[in-house]
Amino acid sequence: MVKILSTRSVLSTSVVLLASIPLIYVLINSGQLSIPQWSNLWSARLPGLLWNTLTLAILVAIGSFVLGVSSAWLITRREFIGRRVATWLMILPLTIPTYVFAHIYTSLTESSGWLGQLWTMIFGPEIQNPELYNVFGVAFVLSIAGFSYVFLLVSDALTRSRVDIEEAARLHGLNSRQVFWRISLPMLRPAIAAGLALVVLHVLSDFGAVSMLRYQTFTLSIYLQMSGRFDLQAAAGLSLVLVLLSLTFLILERFFRDRQRYYSAAQAQRMKRRPASKTEMVLIWSWLGGITLFAFALPVTWMLAWSWEAWQLDLITEEFWGYVKNSISISVAAATFATIAALPVALFHARLRNKISQSYLHMASIGFVLPGPVIALGILSFVLSTLPFIYGTIIVLVLAMLIRFLPLAVQAQEASVQQLSPSIEEAGRSLGASPWENLRRVTIPVLRTGLVSAWVLVFIDTLKELPATLLLRPTGFDTLPVRIWIEASEEMLELAAPAALMLMLGTLPVLWFLMRQHDASTR
Amino acid sequence: MKRGIISLIIMWSMLAVQIGVAQAEELVVYSGRSDKFVKPVVKAFTEKTDIKVTLHAGSSTALLNKLKLEGKRSRADLYISNDAGNLQKGADLGLFKPMKDDLIKVIPANYRAKDNSWVGLSARARVLVVSTKDNSADFVKSVFDLADPRLKGKLGITHSGNESYIAGVTVYMRANDDKKVKDWLAGMKSNVNGSVFNKHSKIVKAVASGKKSIGLVNHYYVFRHLDKKPDAPIKIVMPDQSNDGMGVAWNVAGAAIAKQSKNSAAAEKFIAFMVSEAGQKLFAEVNREYPTRDGIPTAKNVPARSSYKVADVPMRDLGTYRNATLDVIEAVGMP
Repeated sequence: MVKILSTRSVLSTSVVLLASIPLIYVLINSGQLSIPQWSNLWSARLPGLLWNTLTLAILVAIGSFVLGVSSAWLITRREFIGRRVATWLMILPLTIPTYVFAHIYTSLTESSGWLGQLWTMIFGPEIQNPELYNVFGVAFVLSIAGFSYVFLLVSDALTRSRVDIEEAARLHGLNSRQVFWRISLPMLRPAIAAGLALVVLHVLSDFGAVSMLRYQTFTLSIYLQMSGRFDLQAAAGLSLVLVLLSLTFLILERFFRDRQRYYSAAQAQRMKRRPASKTEMVLIWSWLGGITLFAFALPVTWMLAWSWEAWQLDLITEEFWGYVKNSISISVAAATFATIAALPVALFHARLRNKISQSYLHMASIGFVLPGPVIALGILSFVLSTLPFIYGTIIVLVLAMLIRFLPLAVQAQEASVQQLSPSIEEAGRSLGASPWENLRRVTIPVLRTGLVSAWVLVFIDTLKELPATLLLRPTGFDTLPVRIWIEASEEMLELAAPAALMLMLGTLPVLWFLMRQHDASTR
Repeated sequence: MKRGIISLIIMWSMLAVQIGVAQAEELVVYSGRSDKFVKPVVKAFTEKTDIKVTLHAGSSTALLNKLKLEGKRSRADLYISNDAGNLQKGADLGLFKPMKDDLIKVIPANYRAKDNSWVGLSARARVLVVSTKDNSADFVKSVFDLADPRLKGKLGITHSGNESYIAGVTVYMRANDDKKVKDWLAGMKSNVNGSVFNKHSKIVKAVASGKKSIGLVNHYYVFRHLDKKPDAPIKIVMPDQSNDGMGVAWNVAGAAIAKQSKNSAAAEKFIAFMVSEAGQKLFAEVNREYPTRDGIPTAKNVPARSSYKVADVPMRDLGTYRNATLDVIEAVGMP
């Protein structure tokens, strides 16, 4: 018993240390900033950046809330034709990275683009078609790219929620609107908070969309400081402020999530979906169809149209399949190692459940609060100073992905670790299983769902990862996101489109797998 | 079955890591220029010398930063930039190995670093693209006229992060005083009213379609557009050509040998190829830039360099005064 505990603690401590490399880097570098430099940074940059970043975060939170909660509510509470398809349509936007959305919508809204032409047709050439290079454009892109997280968590909570309370409220004379605002919505608060926190964290660390749309958030400004002006200390200083900002959000989210226990403790009554009337069905589908049009159908049509062009021009060469292979290899490797690395941390917490194990969980989440370019920089300088012989190999890239997406793996496993009561493991031991056998035959099977989700989530995010890959990839090792980035910045639409299409197609099977498992567990 | 899949996945992960470790010996080029312009040159070089070249593409600035961070661990042998600013910056940071004079003496001295640590390969001119359909911008004779309030809503410029844009402003700052440049930027800022372009090609498109009357771009974007649409109602105007005018701002794209390169012999061969007549012709053709080597003809229709006045600012200034330029741009708050 003591022996396992120590193995776990040693392993999880080393994982946590690994995960904190970028933070240590930021602390060391920002520590070198003098007081005048800090005050200069404070007065010249921070107010503008804070304003830009926070308004964007709030707008995206509102956008994702409206899209995510409305669609989740309709799909879980009404029975209508094509309901299963609708669930899929709401999560498919996750297969498209933010920078692809940004790129597609800038070319669609140009005066010669599909939407631009439509605009001119309707409003005439005098009225300038709207541009995306402002806070609303960025908020639009990040909302359609991120609302699926809110949808997933809220529809999950709605499926499990206690209908009996709602019925009781109805019996006491509340109408359905009152029931929604006064009963259902407050009960959904933890799920909404978790979903929105996820969306906001993505906004804070987004690099691709904001740099394509040139909207100065913390992350973009940090990147420009380090790569345009070579000012690593100012970049680290800004990163530190960003970390504090993100931590505030995380703490808020934990605060809301901890309340969840009060609601889902009792045995929930099975929820029945009310069949939708014909009019309702039309309304439901026009809402969900509208969301799908912008968040999936239009971008995919664009990708298909330009990929067809590329196919016709014979641009899909052997090199292209090389990028596909690189992308898949790195994603498989990162997903596997991150899942393995997250296991001791999750198990350690399952066993101890104290302040230390809790803080380990937080420390493992560093990848979420630091922007990709900073993580890459931290790892670069760590590797160069301590392990120079692995520099330039793919190991460094895998390490970066592992650290960046470890929080996903840990969170996915933490959920299923909750089900692993110490008594189950003790039963195994008392029946004579060795620690190793116990892990293999008792612990892992219980954790299977969590392990699979962890693997899939890290796989999807690594497949889409851009900023750290740009800096750390071995020479000549181009992945699909890197190619999209390069081709898009050169306006080679017919080359960017097939890469974006392959990214989407690559994500589909694993997403399908995740959803199937998700369905099985909520059924 | 299931265990089979899992072990397959783990094996693949190991394999992926393995593949990355095994790398062949070859020339590694950090290239900040578009693949489509560099690839023809690389291809011709490999055919001629049998030396394999791996292109590592990215933005010039980001790649220079990478080179600096990597230090002696970098695998780069050569650095190619689309902007003299980055080249001089790299030279100032001591990232390059000065080349022998013999190697690059065919290129005039004002297109090279003082210590030969980089060499300019092709030059581009900052010109005005003007609509031939409306005459509202016909009064513009100098880039400084772009701040004139008569051009409100009619001016197309790129966002201020663009390397060519920054380099242009540096030239204007070296040829004039800071105050004049600041006022000029402020005037343009009010003329564009927050709406700038992310690509030079889009400025040309906007002028051709009549959405804008005038734009500030690199010369080859205009020709690229005319290639596709020969009848487009646009023309090139060379600014600042009056007797006391400063002349057109130039910028060069160029190359340098990375200091830590263990392949300098092969790297020198690549440089030699790029400054050779054959290499210079390729540069002139693929992107209609001005070859920096004397005596190589420019592409068809491109105004000969002797036909107009060029601002007398050494290319290395584009690096030395880059941060000062960024400070001015940021102080004005250019979008």
